[in-house]
Amino acid sequence: MPPKNNKGGAKAKELSEANQENDAAKTQTVFERAQAAYDLTRPPYDKEREELGGLHALSTVEKTAYANWFCTAPDEYGLLSKKAQKELWKQVNETNRPLRRGQIDRPKPDQWGQDKLGRNIGDYTVQQYEQRIAKEAQLTCLKALGRSFASKRLYASKGLVDSSTGEKYTLTEDDITAEKDRRREMAALTKDLYGEKMGPYSTDPEWDDVVPVPQMEPEAALSAIAYPEDYAESMSYLRAVMAANEHSPRCLKLTEHIISMNPAHYTVWLYRFANIQHLDVPLLDEITWLNGVALDYLKNYQIWHHRQLLVKRFARSERAFVMEMFAEDAKNYHVWSYRQYLTRKLGMWENEAHGELDSIEGMIDDDVRNNSAWSHRFFLVFSNPRYADPDSHATEPDPKVPADFVDREIAYAQAKIELAPQNQSPWNYLRGVLVKGGRKFGSVQSFVEQYVQNLGNEETEEVRSSHALEQLADIYEEAGDKEKADLCWKRLGEKWDRIRLGYWEWKRRSLKAASS
Amino acid sequence: MELQKARHVQYFQRCYTTVLPSVYTSMDSNRLLLGYFTLAGLDLLINQRRQYTRPSQSLIPAADRQRLRDWVLAQQHRKGGFCGSPGHVQPDIIKRGWNEAVSYPAVNDTENVSLPGTYFALLTLGLLANEDANSVATAFRGVNRIGTLRWIKRLQRPDGSFGEVVNADGSISGGRDMRYCYMAATIRWVLRGNEVGKDLDIDIDGMVRHIRKSQAYDGGFAESHMGESQAGYAYCAVAALSMLDLTAADANKPNRYLEAGIPNIAAMVRWLVSRQIVFTDSDESDSEEEAEDKMTAVPTSEMASLSVTGPVLGGFNGRPNKVADTCYAWWVAGALHVLNDALPEAASLNGASGREFLLQKTQNAYGGFGKDAGAPPDLFHSYLGLAALATMAGNKTEEGLGQFDVRLCLGKEAASRVDRARQFWAPASGNDTTYA
Repeated sequence: MPPKNNKGGAKAKELSEANQENDAAKTQTVFERAQAAYDLTRPPYDKEREELGGLHALSTVEKTAYANWFCTAPDEYGLLSKKAQKELWKQVNETNRPLRRGQIDRPKPDQWGQDKLGRNIGDYTVQQYEQRIAKEAQLTCLKALGRSFASKRLYASKGLVDSSTGEKYTLTEDDITAEKDRRREMAALTKDLYGEKMGPYSTDPEWDDVVPVPQMEPEAALSAIAYPEDYAESMSYLRAVMAANEHSPRCLKLTEHIISMNPAHYTVWLYRFANIQHLDVPLLDEITWLNGVALDYLKNYQIWHHRQLLVKRFARSERAFVMEMFAEDAKNYHVWSYRQYLTRKLGMWENEAHGELDSIEGMIDDDVRNNSAWSHRFFLVFSNPRYADPDSHATEPDPKVPADFVDREIAYAQAKIELAPQNQSPWNYLRGVLVKGGRKFGSVQSFVEQYVQNLGNEETEEVRSSHALEQLADIYEEAGDKEKADLCWKRLGEKWDRIRLGYWEWKRRSLKAASS
Repeated sequence: MELQKARHVQYFQRCYTTVLPSVYTSMDSNRLLLGYFTLAGLDLLINQRRQYTRPSQSLIPAADRQRLRDWVLAQQHRKGGFCGSPGHVQPDIIKRGWNEAVSYPAVNDTENVSLPGTYFALLTLGLLANEDANSVATAFRGVNRIGTLRWIKRLQRPDGSFGEVVNADGSISGGRDMRYCYMAATIRWVLRGNEVGKDLDIDIDGMVRHIRKSQAYDGGFAESHMGESQAGYAYCAVAALSMLDLTAADANKPNRYLEAGIPNIAAMVRWLVSRQIVFTDSDESDSEEEAEDKMTAVPTSEMASLSVTGPVLGGFNGRPNKVADTCYAWWVAGALHVLNDALPEAASLNGASGREFLLQKTQNAYGGFGKDAGAPPDLFHSYLGLAALATMAGNKTEEGLGQFDVRLCLGKEAASRVDRARQFWAPASGNDTTYA
């Protein structure tokens, strides 16, 4: 505070202060009142000294009085000898000046802080200030009640018993309604007093445990948007729950709220989908909601991506259940039939996107004799509408199937035959693939021959798979080598597959009849 | 081992005279099927000319026949077709005031007509006729022929397959199941649907197209296009085609549909004969003692089991790498026998040991057949076990059983009664719903 000019000025001020005494409450500011109160706690020469800018402006008596007053301060007084103390009091008496000393600190004009508009609260009139204090008290009370609500909620959640009544803590609807009302009142007060806006999230008890993450943006930001009510707040809560990786019904609601304001927020969609997966939201519920959003925002990319994810998720959940059924019976015809339907209906053809082929390979790895899985693989590879001819019969070549797929399937079947040569499923599969791919049986002759050695030589003949021997017969027949084909069938009936002797003999007769 | 005829008679008579155990509750919607298997089983067991010369000695008491007929007819829908079970029929008082303008039973009609129900009802009515001419002539009296044909036609999809239910909007629900093709073809044959004009007849070419598409890469037949081969569907496919051939009556091409409907008959025969497997102990969950006994008889390796000399038990599975099951002996043998028409000798290609498997392993000591070795008997496997034995015996006949009509899966004499009874339908006339 700049030093005042002279003694007369101080006196004039003293006068005006006296005049104001009556209606002080109306016009006196908070700081002024505090200053006045402070002045009453010190001797007038101290105030004078201050106002005049130093001791030099005081009279000799007042200088002495000031020095005495200074020395009677508790910290100083103790330093004096008994004699000096005696001398001091004597001098005080002689000076005959008041020696007041209060316990309050000198008020600072900004000690009350600023209000929401940046005004110094010290400049408030006393009346204004008292209104403000009342509001603050009200807010404090509300906060206390809110804390008691929070404790009760905590106790109720832990199932604790109120020892005063002997009953369990329970949170009633009324409690929650009252808390919500309280929050609204608190929000209004907070806004009024501090200009802090409390949106629907900060006032919702459900969100109490979340500390919102405000938007961080350096100064001089470009293209700032005048966000609508609640948008900034909901976004700050979104950032918080996303950072915490929370998945809960309230998060689902939050994403719905944000999407309603900004449906092009691409991460909120992904986050919503994560919530849907985590909460196992029924597909139809989500689709119904999505329909509404799609009709409101006709040109939006995310909606349709979300829809695709939902359909994929549905496909996955269906397949998961199908696999659960297969865990009971891996050959259940109805379930396999449904799996085909699903593949067609949901377009689960491409392995990259749906992993259907991988899933089937897994099942074949589990049980290489699962013919149903082999059959489904055939369907998957040779009915894929991307390349296969939809009218192609299962037993006829389809030139539209790429040759490398045919090669891959032949190699796959052969690899599985090696695991268990006497397993009819991959042999049938190989046969089916060769026909589908328009390949000759002869193209796998060397592979087949490794399972059949020294055919016809009673001593050294070795057949590791009757199916190989049968396939070999067909290879010979195809090549016109009737004698060798006949030998295969003969040996099948004689030794390697006796139970079908009638069939093998019939094959021999048929071939003879055809050639004669 | 031999067929324990007396035991089987007891089994079927028990099913005929007493209440079925509660495990059958899950088949309550197919009581016509249960009834049919009971009656057809009794009929097959007694149909043996050498012992019984007069049909009146049939195990189905003559006094019961009218009552049984009434029971079957009570399940007929007022617009044609039969419900599968009395539990699906609404009492008359409920039916009053229904919209009669609907020309076919729809799904919002609480009485749902069933394709299997209709199939079994018609065959039961024919089966219940006895040998006297009047009984045969009136076997189908009371059947709504035109309504039933109209309904069957409504069940066919544009792709030729048949569904289960006609929805209110005219669309068709239910799987594309090969069994429906067989039943539709048989019903059409019984009702002589080929003689009532194009408007009422089903789309035969479409049906053949659908069946044709269902042959799988391994030669067997699936439920529908690109499915997994299964022996039951194989039988249904060939028997359906064969039923169509019966009505085609083209002397020059007696197997026209069989040949048109099976792209690769040789592959199918190959697949069917491959269904026979050497029965080993690992297939059964029998007592330890018996398992040990089998152990010594059959080496465990599957390759080795095929090379065993001397008699082996040859069971039949329905799909590659599945266990042997009584009913597949029937489905496989039945399919091969039907194929015999198109491919002579097909029926004789199976090993003889199939019979021993049934008699030794799935025939129950107290009568009837179980699903697999050691399983308790049930009507379905009991009847199809007999059917398999009768079929595999061919012209030689199984001791204790009559000859068998493989197409209809019914004793030959009963089948002939059905055939004679169907001759009494009035000549074709679009609006005719009566029986001559």
